[in-house]
Amino acid sequence: MMQREEEFVVARRPDWDELDRLLRATKRRHAPQITRLAALYRAVCADLMRARTAGYGADLVAALDGLAGRAHNQFYEAPPTRLSAVVSLFTRDFPRALRKQAGFFAFAAALFLVPGAIGYVGAVQSRAFAVRILPESQLGGVEAAYATETTREDGGDTQMAGFYVYNNVGIAFRCFATGILFGLGSVFFLVYNGLVIGTVAGAVAGTGHLRNLLTFTCGHSSFELTAIIIAGAAGMQMGYALVNTGSLGRWASLRAQSKSIAHLVFGAAGMLLIAAAIEGFWSASPVPAQVKWAVAGVLALLVTTYFVFAGRKR
Amino acid sequence: MPLDTTTEVDTPEHVRFRYFLAGPTRRTAAYLLDLAVRLGIVLFFLVIQYVFLGGGPKSDEKAGTGFLLVVLFAVEWGYYVLLEMIWGGRSIGKRAFGLRVVKAGGYPITFIDSALRNLLRAADFLPFAYILGFLVCGLDKRFRRLGDLVADTIVVVEASGRVVGALKVKAAPEELSGLPSRVVLSAEELELIELFLRRIGTLSVAREAELAQLIAPPIATRLGVRFDDGSRFLRCVYVRATA
Repeated sequence: MMQREEEFVVARRPDWDELDRLLRATKRRHAPQITRLAALYRAVCADLMRARTAGYGADLVAALDGLAGRAHNQFYEAPPTRLSAVVSLFTRDFPRALRKQAGFFAFAAALFLVPGAIGYVGAVQSRAFAVRILPESQLGGVEAAYATETTREDGGDTQMAGFYVYNNVGIAFRCFATGILFGLGSVFFLVYNGLVIGTVAGAVAGTGHLRNLLTFTCGHSSFELTAIIIAGAAGMQMGYALVNTGSLGRWASLRAQSKSIAHLVFGAAGMLLIAAAIEGFWSASPVPAQVKWAVAGVLALLVTTYFVFAGRKR
Repeated sequence: MPLDTTTEVDTPEHVRFRYFLAGPTRRTAAYLLDLAVRLGIVLFFLVIQYVFLGGGPKSDEKAGTGFLLVVLFAVEWGYYVLLEMIWGGRSIGKRAFGLRVVKAGGYPITFIDSALRNLLRAADFLPFAYILGFLVCGLDKRFRRLGDLVADTIVVVEASGRVVGALKVKAAPEELSGLPSRVVLSAEELELIELFLRRIGTLSVAREAELAQLIAPPIATRLGVRFDDGSRFLRCVYVRATA
């Protein structure tokens, strides 16, 4: 004989209320309470199955669903995020992911560098071209800024480092995220940024002060530009996974690659933080240009070596 | 086809339970609260800077601006990830509105899931004010925005789990006379009628009639009876079926 719904509720309610109270408690739990919680969770799971099989009221089933769900969420927590994951990201996962996606990286680099070259040549050849990319006022601003070697007032270094974190990492993240639109957003950000940077360089070259610009940017550019390209490559990998799905569904195809995509984005973010520190505290420092060039060479070599060799199996 | 906006989850205990999915309205409310909190954080640091560095040397003020920009960056990109990690898929806004982010299988989210779904806000936001996210969310059966689709997550409502009493419906004997002596309904039909009857008190008369007109005709056709008032007919069917 099946128990009637009212009797079932009356008999089981004390346990449900106790479980509800335990789940609401915000204090740290000790062993006896955890054991009790586990027992009550299993009991409510059994009650849920029973209520469903017996065809009890929809609201009762929904309430038990909610209770079981909340208990479930407290029991099955995600594995803690470990600091060692950050270490293995930079010593292993990030460079490996990039080598594996070398095709996307090369494509992203082309999308960035070719418009950059076009912008440079165009701006050197014709002022009308440069003005179409950036308004006269902005061009005049950067030309004036690089008329002398870049230096900053006191406190300016920290201010600019903060700005580079906010602005550059933000651009990289947007460049990546908009790749979900079948890669189009990433393509746009790469081409647009390449074109603007090339045009600025061309305009400054037109005034004969290209050396100042390069002396300022040489130190951080191997980190900054590479990272922007990597973020774009990750965005395009994401967009392409939606198109070339193999034997999987569209989203399953993307999720199969989400780890390697995440490694690229986190890695790029790390590089941009380094770039912001260099750009903020080193690039505008009063050390001689020759030293800056030498350091830039070492850093570029470091970045290249890192991507070629880091994380290889011995 | 589920009757309500729920999704089923299989647990390691081989128990299957249902989550209520959070729709765009509830999620927007949570978002706005989080937005207010984030603005509050930035404002707090702005005031701190003004109080301690205002009127001081220009260099300190500049350094303060740099620090503020880092705060702005952290609030824009790190707020959700940090809280979703600390509180198992909940931010302040989600907590206040009883929402939680979980994996599509009901499991808790990891750092990568949280980071991906929140980075993708930059795409969901397009062209402005989360219009794309709204569209995708509204078209998806499980109310997922782009970030959820990439990270394979869903946002669920944590029901209070309060047990309300069984539904009590009465019908006069003469009203029941038109029905067959035994009425067998499927579990879904019974649930549908019960959900309807429970909501009657909160509906306007016109809406009640409109909803009844959606539910009653197929059941009446199958039972081979006619009815005048859909709402009353459903009440009688429910009484007879649960007797």
